[in-house]
Amino acid sequence: MTARQRADRLAGLAFVAPAALTLAALALYPALWVLWLSLQQRVPIFGIARFVGLDHFAFLATDPRFWNAARVTLVFTGVSVVLELVLGMAAALALQRQRVGRRLALSLLLLAWALPSVVTARLFEWLYHPSAGLVNIVLGRPLNWLGDPTLALAGLILADVWRTMPFVALLCYARLLTIAPEVYEAARVDGAGRLATLTFVTLPLLRSILLVALLFRTLDALRAFDLMYVLTGGGPANTTETLTVYAYRSLFQTLQLGFGSAIGVVIFVLVMAVAAVYLRALRREGAAA
Amino acid sequence: MRTRRWAGDVVVLLALVVWATPFFWQLRTSFTPDGELLATSSALPSRPTIVHYTAVVERSVMPQALGNSLGVAALTTLVALAIGLPAAYGIARLPVPGKGLLLLAVVASTAFPQITTVSPLYLLMRALGLRDTWTALVLANTSFALPLLIWLLAGFIREIPIEVEEAAFLDGAGRLVALRRVVLPLVAPGVASAALLTFLASWNEFLFAYTFTATEASRTVPVALALFPGVFEVPWGDIAAASILASLPPIVIVVGLQRWLVRGLVAGAMKE
Amino acid sequence: MRWVALVLAVVVLLPGCAERHDGPGPVTLVFKHAKILGPSDPIPGLLREFERRNPGVTVRSEPLTWTSDEQHQFYVINLEGASPTFDVLMLDVIWVPEFAQAGWLLDLSPWVTRDELAPHFPAAVAAATWGGRVWGVPWNMNVGVLYYRADLLAKQGLAPPRTWEELVTQTERVRAAEGDPRLDGVLWQGKQYEGLVVNVLEHFWGSGTALIGEDERVLPQVDRAAAALTFMRGLVERGVSPPWVTAGDEELTRRPFGDGRAVFVRSWPYALDLFEQPDSPVRGRVGIAAMPGHVGGGPGAGATGGFHLAVNRRTRHAEAAVALVRYLGGEPAQRALTAAGVALYPTRMALYHDPDIVRARPQMPRFHDLALAARPRPVTPWYLMLSTTVQPEFSAVLVGVKTPRQALDQARHRLEYMLGGLR
Repeated sequence: MTARQRADRLAGLAFVAPAALTLAALALYPALWVLWLSLQQRVPIFGIARFVGLDHFAFLATDPRFWNAARVTLVFTGVSVVLELVLGMAAALALQRQRVGRRLALSLLLLAWALPSVVTARLFEWLYHPSAGLVNIVLGRPLNWLGDPTLALAGLILADVWRTMPFVALLCYARLLTIAPEVYEAARVDGAGRLATLTFVTLPLLRSILLVALLFRTLDALRAFDLMYVLTGGGPANTTETLTVYAYRSLFQTLQLGFGSAIGVVIFVLVMAVAAVYLRALRREGAAA
Repeated sequence: MRTRRWAGDVVVLLALVVWATPFFWQLRTSFTPDGELLATSSALPSRPTIVHYTAVVERSVMPQALGNSLGVAALTTLVALAIGLPAAYGIARLPVPGKGLLLLAVVASTAFPQITTVSPLYLLMRALGLRDTWTALVLANTSFALPLLIWLLAGFIREIPIEVEEAAFLDGAGRLVALRRVVLPLVAPGVASAALLTFLASWNEFLFAYTFTATEASRTVPVALALFPGVFEVPWGDIAAASILASLPPIVIVVGLQRWLVRGLVAGAMKE
Repeated sequence: MRWVALVLAVVVLLPGCAERHDGPGPVTLVFKHAKILGPSDPIPGLLREFERRNPGVTVRSEPLTWTSDEQHQFYVINLEGASPTFDVLMLDVIWVPEFAQAGWLLDLSPWVTRDELAPHFPAAVAAATWGGRVWGVPWNMNVGVLYYRADLLAKQGLAPPRTWEELVTQTERVRAAEGDPRLDGVLWQGKQYEGLVVNVLEHFWGSGTALIGEDERVLPQVDRAAAALTFMRGLVERGVSPPWVTAGDEELTRRPFGDGRAVFVRSWPYALDLFEQPDSPVRGRVGIAAMPGHVGGGPGAGATGGFHLAVNRRTRHAEAAVALVRYLGGEPAQRALTAAGVALYPTRMALYHDPDIVRARPQMPRFHDLALAARPRPVTPWYLMLSTTVQPEFSAVLVGVKTPRQALDQARHRLEYMLGGLR
């Protein structure tokens, strides 16, 4: 190894060490710690700290509230992500054809995305007000959005789609901008109409970015907490209680750190598994391209 | 043909205005007097008032929360940059032992659910006696901001052709000098984008802030907004005003610094 | 050997003494309490009076969020192993055993004797003591009551209902007679929060059962509990209560009744003052009734509630803090609070028959009797855990997502697992 190479290795270590240590302390260590917590009955306020092994997980396996939360999480994620992708793509396509006012258009679009989720939650809480809310005024019906078990989840999904569609739109828009106009020109010369161009030219080119958007959005939706916690608190009757809300309530309403951590571990495994699957698909996509 | 194009543009802009309506409705609400709030009949308030804003600024905890949020977000961004930029450079350019593992750890950390790490972090903050401090929030925010920042910056640095640095080496510059004089200016826009995203993410962060803060001394804007006191009934007007105030930095970033924000967002996704 | 023990004792006790000894110099106490409803806030005046009587002590007020759940979360996150950021705290009565068990409260027994507590309602005193020690000073009292439109009932020649079944018949009669489609029957708190548990408990008690039995068993008579829940759900299904009560809290239910749009409302004493405001549509037309029971269940009982004052065990100014607590719970302070016409009712029974107070608020003797007949929610350190576990189950029944039996079985299953881990 030359002196330069050795110097580089040392430099590399020095540059990377602080970050590695910070990550180890703030991300990796807690990840291991939460695993340990999930195997305990830990209620700090009463001084209870006892090893119980897999008891919490055994309970969760037969816990209707857990399975309800899992179902709510999956429904929320599935519906939100599909809506975001479809609407986001539509918005991107529309933006691409925009001649005038692109900056204004982007600002209007990104506004929804940039707002803090708590702001969005309170915004929609007001929009869904049974009598004074804009939604009911427009619909002309006094729907009990946040109190009706059949409507609350829909209301929550709507709020989330409003907030995150711009992100997908932006990704697609950026990708669309990189498509050379010659591609469309060639399609037009071949006699392709608008719909055909869309289906056979544009969409395939968007495929990889859509997969990336899908990955980001799915992971974010699975981990989502702020919106449902502030907008509905998981109610009514736990119809909007996702796994994250269930975990948080178990953790901090009565400081049952062991039990809550068990739910946290389940969420962790779920998210990592989904991430692994997507990343593999993306890598295959990248290799094929 | 041209009018059709114009019409198309206007339609899209209108559609986006409709999309942003929830925000504009909140804006309208913030200027609507209490009496009119629950009996909405027109798009604009008949007697706009700033009474909600004065209530929020004078009698609520929002001003302090705004200060806390600014401080925490700024500090998080600075800390993450200070630690993350060198790390990103190391990952992008230097032979780091165990780089593959480190990269995996970085990418995996970006996917960590906050709800999973909140309980051990809570115990950690408690043990360190850091509850209700800015430090706790900066540390907690760094846990998710740092990996994101490293990933983004590594991508931006890789974009810079290696020849530029090699030219500097040929001129006799060392690594650090090359980093400062050559790489940094070129990657500055990328750093700006990543910094904006980090700031925004930290400003909007709720879960950690809600759990680790106790009093107005460290309460950030999202928590203050979530806990906005309604004595018995919900003060919709005040909440609307507080929401608008809470949204100011994000709005400034979106409208004023749009170019960099977009760049950062897109880079994060395209650099796979 | 004995002197070793002595030295150890001194070494162990000395830091404790140092912590609690009020050193010379100005003392600032931080008093954490919720905002007081009403035309004016009497607390600052009381605090200034206390400062006057205790030179060298300043009291700083710090507000809490209003909802009980949020307050509890704030306290839990703060008191759990933290440095003292407040000295005196206002506690919901249901938290006292929990906080005492967790070791967060200063044992007030050396200062507050049984005699000193005697003038307060027995239920309030019971909630202030745990394990034979005194942990709080009762401050204000709450009791669940049924308000009714005396004018509408009088028109039909009806006396206030003694059972819920009678109440339902009465609403049908009144609504048929009035012919007003916007007139609701009975409003109550059905939102998924602590208030829901209060409402359900009142129905349980009226049905002759309880949430925790005498022998600490969970849901001892599950069938009666299921019947009570079925009845509550039935109120919504049959339209006796509007569907939105499942999202209703105190204010959401108080307002429509106060606007004259309901025949009955289950609420707390504070509401009456608002009903009797000069511009209130129902002024002078509201009657107070005891909580009805159920047919075949037994007499109804309202749930008690209210707030106590306690001292943070980690306070650095124990003497001053205890003095503040005893002062605020004392006769002059409670009298001042009551006289200010705020939504706080005193815990001192004598004040309810005080001529000056009764003159200003004639409902006082009635509330006194109702408070005496009321029942507390389970007094146990695990109450919050109990409540947060059953809240979603009860809510699920009310909105029709689960049957009462399903909900109760699942509630029992969870409670037994959770409580099992605590004992």
